[in-house]
Amino acid sequence: MCTLGFLINPVAGMGGAVGLKGTDGMVEAALSRGAVPRAPGRAKETISLLKGLDIHFLTCSGVMGEDILSEEGISGYEVVYHPETVQTGAPDTMAACRAFLERKADLILFCGGDGTARDIYSVIGDSLPMLGIPAGVKMYSAVFAITPGAAAGILRDGCTPGGKFLFRDAEVMDVDEEAYREGSLRTRLFGIAKSPYRPGLVQGTKQVFEDHDEERAKKDIARFIKEVMEGTPDILYILGPGSTTAAIADEIGIRKTLLGFDAAKGGTLVATDLNEEGLLSLLGGGTRARLVISIIGAQGSVLGRGTQQVSPAVLRIIGRENIIVVATPHKLAETPLVFLDSGDRELDESFGDYISVVSGYRVAQRKRIGKTAGVGEFP
Amino acid sequence: MHTKIPLDEDQMPKSWYNILPDLPSPLDPPLHPGTGKPLVPDDLTPIFPMELILQEMSSKRTIDIPAEVQDVLRLWRPSPLYRAHRLEKHLKTPAHIYYKYEGVSPPGSHKPNTAVPQAYYNMKAGIERIATETGAGQWGSALAFATQIFGLECTIYMVRSSYAQKPYRKSMMQVWGAECIPSPSTRTKAGSAVLQKDPETTGSLGIAISEAVEDAATHGNTNYSLGSVLNHVCLHQTVIGLECREQLASVDEYPDVVIGCVGGGSNFAGISFPFAGEKLKGTHKETEIIAVEPASCPTLTKGLFTYDYGDVAGLTPLLKMFTLGHDFVPPSIHAGGLRYHGDNPTISRLVYDGVMKAVSYHQSEVFDAAQTFARTEGIIVAPETSHAVRAAIDEALKCRKSGEKKTILFNCSGHGNFDMSAYDAFYAKQLVDYEYPEQLIRESLSRLPKIPGA
Repeated sequence: MCTLGFLINPVAGMGGAVGLKGTDGMVEAALSRGAVPRAPGRAKETISLLKGLDIHFLTCSGVMGEDILSEEGISGYEVVYHPETVQTGAPDTMAACRAFLERKADLILFCGGDGTARDIYSVIGDSLPMLGIPAGVKMYSAVFAITPGAAAGILRDGCTPGGKFLFRDAEVMDVDEEAYREGSLRTRLFGIAKSPYRPGLVQGTKQVFEDHDEERAKKDIARFIKEVMEGTPDILYILGPGSTTAAIADEIGIRKTLLGFDAAKGGTLVATDLNEEGLLSLLGGGTRARLVISIIGAQGSVLGRGTQQVSPAVLRIIGRENIIVVATPHKLAETPLVFLDSGDRELDESFGDYISVVSGYRVAQRKRIGKTAGVGEFP
Repeated sequence: MHTKIPLDEDQMPKSWYNILPDLPSPLDPPLHPGTGKPLVPDDLTPIFPMELILQEMSSKRTIDIPAEVQDVLRLWRPSPLYRAHRLEKHLKTPAHIYYKYEGVSPPGSHKPNTAVPQAYYNMKAGIERIATETGAGQWGSALAFATQIFGLECTIYMVRSSYAQKPYRKSMMQVWGAECIPSPSTRTKAGSAVLQKDPETTGSLGIAISEAVEDAATHGNTNYSLGSVLNHVCLHQTVIGLECREQLASVDEYPDVVIGCVGGGSNFAGISFPFAGEKLKGTHKETEIIAVEPASCPTLTKGLFTYDYGDVAGLTPLLKMFTLGHDFVPPSIHAGGLRYHGDNPTISRLVYDGVMKAVSYHQSEVFDAAQTFARTEGIIVAPETSHAVRAAIDEALKCRKSGEKKTILFNCSGHGNFDMSAYDAFYAKQLVDYEYPEQLIRESLSRLPKIPGA
C-alpha cells in the first residue's frame, strides 16, 4: 500500500487569471478582481484517476484536501492536519507537511505552484519525494507533472501492485514575485527535491532505448568531464549549482556546495559558493577558466535562472566557447528548447540557434535555443 | 525517359574490383594486436578461411566471383538503378539524380553481397558454423540468409538494445535458421565480464564483435565473419558500383557526384570504389565522391587517422584508419548500422588523401530527407540510407542554385520496413540530435596511454 500525503493550496493559480502573476500575499486582491479557485478542480482531475488503487491518503481538512477526496468517493483517507483559518496560507502547507513526515508518508502529492513547492521543500527537503499537480501561476520548478492526468499516471506506476516509483532530482525554484509582477523574472535555485517520474512517457515509439537511470546518466557525464579536467590541468573550472555538477564534483573527489558556484583546478577545490565579486576576482589576471553549468528548472534555462552570480561581466571574461552545458538525457527530453537569459542580449545571441549539451560519456546533444524566454511562458 | 534502368542477368559482374593496386602507394599494414608487428596470413587463420585472408591482402585488380556465388546473387542481382524523376521535380533541380536500390535483396539491404561469398568460402574450407555480431540486424539477417543456403550454422550476437527493440530482424534470422543471442551474453568471457560489471548494459557493436571473435577463436569448427570495415568485405560490395557504371553507360551518363552512407564503409565502398579507381587512374579526375556519416559518430569528419582496434576488448588487429577510439560507444541513434568508431582503411586513406570527402548530418535532418524521398520516389529507406538521401538532396539543391546539370548517383542501400519505430519517433518529434563534442573528447584523451604499435 502507498501512503500519500495529499494537500491542495486552494488559492494557487488564482492570481494568474486576473493578471497578478502570482498569488503569494495577493489572495485578497485576486478575490476582489473576481478570481475563482482553480486548484481544487485540477486536483480533482488527478484524484478521479486514482480510484481503485491501494492508496492510503493522509490529508488536510476541508478545501486543503478532504473535500476533494470525499467528493470523489475515496474513503481510504485520514485527516492529519486542520487549518485554523478559512483562508489558508504557507504556514498551513508547512504544518501539513510536518504531519505527513511524522506519519511516515511515502510521497507528498500536492496541487499548487512554485510557491507551494518551495514551502513544502522548506520542510521536507529531499527526505520525502514530492510530486506537483500543476495549478500555479508559475511552475519553473521541475517537481510538476505535465498535466493532472500525467500526475495520476506517475502515481499509478508506483502504486499498482508490482509497480515501483522511479525518482529523479528536481529543482525547486524560488521566484521573486514582486519582480515578476514588474515584468522581470528573477529566480533562484531554492533546493533539489526528489520527485517521481515516468521514464519516457512515449518510450514505445523509441527504437533504441536511452538510459533512463538518472544517477547513471549523471555518473557518465561526470566521468567524461573529469577526464576533460584531467586533460586540462591548467584551466580553472567553475561548477554551477545542481545535482549534475555535484556528480562531477563527487567524481573528482571534491566537496561542492549543492546550490552555489564552486571553483576547482587540477583536481583541487579552490573556492566555494562564489558570488559575482568572488568570481570576478578569481578570473582576474588572465586566468583561463571554464564554466560547467546545467539546465535548471522545468523551462530549460541555462543562464539567468538561479544563476545570477554568473553575471554578464563574468560570462564575458570566461567566453562563450568556455561554457560547457551539461544535462541528463531525461532532462533534455523534457526540455525541447533551451533558454538563455544572461541579462546580456548580445551575449545570448552570440550562441546562435543551437547549443551543444554534454549528455553522457563523450556524448552531446544539439538543442535548439528558444528565443522568447518571456515571463509566464511555459513549454 | 527511363525510370528504371535494368541490367540483364548475364551482364552481372563476373569479378569483383580490388582498388588496392590502384592506390598511389600501399596501405599501412594491419598490425598484430599482441606484438604490434604487421600481420601475416597465418595470424588470421583461427577466425577466417584462407581464401578470404588472401583477398584481404590481394594485389590483383580483379578477383573472379565463383559460379556458385553468382548463382545465389542472381536471386536479386543485378539490382535496379532508378532515375529519381519525381524527386528531381520536387526539388526543382536541373541535376539528374540516380539511385541504386539494394533493398531488393531478400534481407532488404546490400549486406548479402558479401554474406553470400563469405559463407561460401567458409563452407569450402570445411567450416561448420559462423559467429558474427549485428547492430541494427541488417548484417545478422543477411548472414543468416547466406549461411542457410550453404548449409552452415550461424550464431549471431545482437546488440542487446536492438534485440529488444527490433524483434522482426531477430525473427528473420530465426526463419533462416540462425541462432540470435542478445549481447553481452554469458556465452563468452568477454560478454560475461561486461555483464558482471554492468548487468543493465544496453550493449554495443564493439562488445558484440568481441563476443563473436572469442566464440570463433575458441571453437575449431567455427569461423568469424564481419559485415563491414575489412578489405574483402568492401571488395565483395563492388558489384554495386560495377553494375551502376554499366547501367549509367546504357543511358549515356557518368556520375559527377557519387554518394553513400558510411558506418564501417562497405556499402559506400561498394558504390564508390569502381568510380574512385577511375579517378585515381585519371580517366575521370573530377568525380566528387562523398561519404555521409552521422554527426553523433563522425569518424571521417572528426576522427583521428591512426592505428586502432576494431573492437572494445582489443582482440582484433590494429588497422590504420580514421577512428574515434575503440572504446567510444556512439550514442543510440536510429541508424544503428552507422554506429561504429572506425572505418575501412582504404576509405580512410582516400579521405585523408582528399580523393573522397566526408560530410555529417544530424538525425532530424536525415529523416526529413527520407520523408521527402518516400513521398516522391515511394521507397521508405533505412535510417542508415537516409544519410545518403540527405546528401544527394543537398547536392541537387546546390545545382538548383548554381544551375549546374550534374549527374548525382547515390546508393539506396536498404529499405526501412523494419525501422518504422524510428519514423514514429521522427513524427513524435523525439529524435535526439546527438553531437560529438570533439574538443572536449580530444582533451579527455590526452592523458590516456597510447595504443601499442600505433
